[in-house]
Amino acid sequence: SEMSKDLLPGPYPRTPEERAAAAKKYNMRVEDYQPYPDDGFGYGDYPMLPNKSLHERDPWYQWDQPDMRHNWGQPMHWDFDMYIRNRVDTSPTPVPWHIMRKHFLIFLSTMLIMFGLGEIYPSYRPVGPKQYPFNDLYLEKGGDPNKKQPVVTHYEI
Amino acid sequence: MAAGPPPTAAQAYRPNRFVSLPAELDPETYDLSPEKRRAEAERLAIRARLKRQYQLQLNNPNPPAIIEDPALVRWAYARSQNVYPTFRPTPKTSFLGAVFAIGPILFWAAIFKADRDRKEKLIQEGKYKRPFSVF
Repeated sequence: SEMSKDLLPGPYPRTPEERAAAAKKYNMRVEDYQPYPDDGFGYGDYPMLPNKSLHERDPWYQWDQPDMRHNWGQPMHWDFDMYIRNRVDTSPTPVPWHIMRKHFLIFLSTMLIMFGLGEIYPSYRPVGPKQYPFNDLYLEKGGDPNKKQPVVTHYEI
Repeated sequence: MAAGPPPTAAQAYRPNRFVSLPAELDPETYDLSPEKRRAEAERLAIRARLKRQYQLQLNNPNPPAIIEDPALVRWAYARSQNVYPTFRPTPKTSFLGAVFAIGPILFWAAIFKADRDRKEKLIQEGKYKRPFSVF
């Protein structure tokens, strides 16, 4: 791109002057500017913004880009493409997360345990072998009509 | 041991990586100190300056073909071309690189080798049923 090197992201800022210059570059206040920790992961001096998705930004404010809820020149989150409104949503839920997780795990484990027990100890109604008429369907199964059919009775009197 | 004070609503909510704290439970919403108001005023000043720059370009009688967003350019540059120069091999990055890059290769190599050895043993013993092939 045609932007000069001092407007593009650079290495981790070490001195307070570098931090101030980086904050000015990213259009942020010096107090708000917080780079990612210098762990060698490749973030450089990019600011670490709160991990909030675009769902949480005011839908009624006149953004410059309304679908992205983003203003021109506003620093974008590192995971901006993850936090768009089609994808991850971090807006607060009416029920706290740990309660939802607990209820879900209780339900899932109960169902899995019951299904597992049902596989190990199956329980069905008693059944017997199927009883077909006409001497066990002798003619239908291709028996010789000229021969005497073997008599099959399914009852006892 | 006596229990401590009951948890505040914000503590009871326990926001984490997946949900953030609602504004109604956040004590910062109700903080009206002058420092916070000055910070908000400074942020508003920055935002207004950027808005003015953008609107000047947008309502220009001879508008440029594309109004490029420097924040977007910086974001794309940081994610693509600024990663290698700022990368540094540390114990953590080396460990993660080994786990995610070399680990799967060794894992799948071991799985396939074990499977092939098992099949070869069955073939040698004559117990392997060849699968049906059209060709």
